[in-house]
Amino acid sequence: MDPMKAQQLAAELEVEMMADMYNRMTNACHRKCVPPHYKEAELTKGESVCLDRCVAKYLDLHERLGRKLTEMSVQDEEMMRKAAVGSG
Amino acid sequence: MAASMGAANAASSDSQGPAPASPSMEGSTIQYSMILDHLIGDKRPVKDLNPGVMGGLPVPPKSDEQKMIERGMESCAFKSVLACVGGFVLGGAFGVFTAGIDTNVGFDPKDPLRTPTAREVLKDMGQRGMSYAKNFAIVGAMFSCTECIIESHRGKSDWKNAVYSGCVTGGAIGFRAGLKAGVLGCGGFAAFSAAIEYYLR
Repeated sequence: MDPMKAQQLAAELEVEMMADMYNRMTNACHRKCVPPHYKEAELTKGESVCLDRCVAKYLDLHERLGRKLTEMSVQDEEMMRKAAVGSG
Repeated sequence: MAASMGAANAASSDSQGPAPASPSMEGSTIQYSMILDHLIGDKRPVKDLNPGVMGGLPVPPKSDEQKMIERGMESCAFKSVLACVGGFVLGGAFGVFTAGIDTNVGFDPKDPLRTPTAREVLKDMGQRGMSYAKNFAIVGAMFSCTECIIESHRGKSDWKNAVYSGCVTGGAIGFRAGLKAGVLGCGGFAAFSAAIEYYLR
């Protein structure tokens, strides 16, 4: 697969991926950091600190798992290429 | 996380037909690692992310100085300065008030039977007010500072922050008079803070 096609496909998928990630991150961090009893409209200091940490962890996790998945798919492709060469 | 990558993979396999990872001779297969490099890895494009693009409400971007001002106003130092000034004013008022209802104001220890002049009384009231003001200012600043630090550390905002910082403040004040006074100060101030928090929440 040539890199141009990969880049085009990635560009198409990226919008959907970012929107999905943003929504999931917002839901997860809201559930973890903001308890459902609202006494005022503004975010308190504890909550905003918690949200900063939550977003940083989420993005770190996203990046690490993405790299791990890339490694795994490289290994899978190697195996399949060897199998194809072996059988062809 | 991994779930959103599952969505991306499912979308790509839907658009390209069944079993796209199997090798074939035409070269129209998908190489996931290359796509992932462009999506998540090192080759991803640098974009200016905006909540409006990603599905949130479009918000006008805040200028840098607005962000700096907001960050300053939320910081622990600003809050403790505010509490210090507030404590000073409140302490001054409280001190003048207690001096007003005290019969011993302006009392001259060298000549106890002489009625003090107005100037002496006012001067004594001012001194007492100033001493109360300084004490209140220090206590307020310490309480606010420790509460902000504890809240930042815990990442939660509930009544326990006030109790912990009340114990620290009371303990620090009482500790100067010995360990037992420190423990008593901790317990007393923590109980006082808990009562105030209960009333406020």
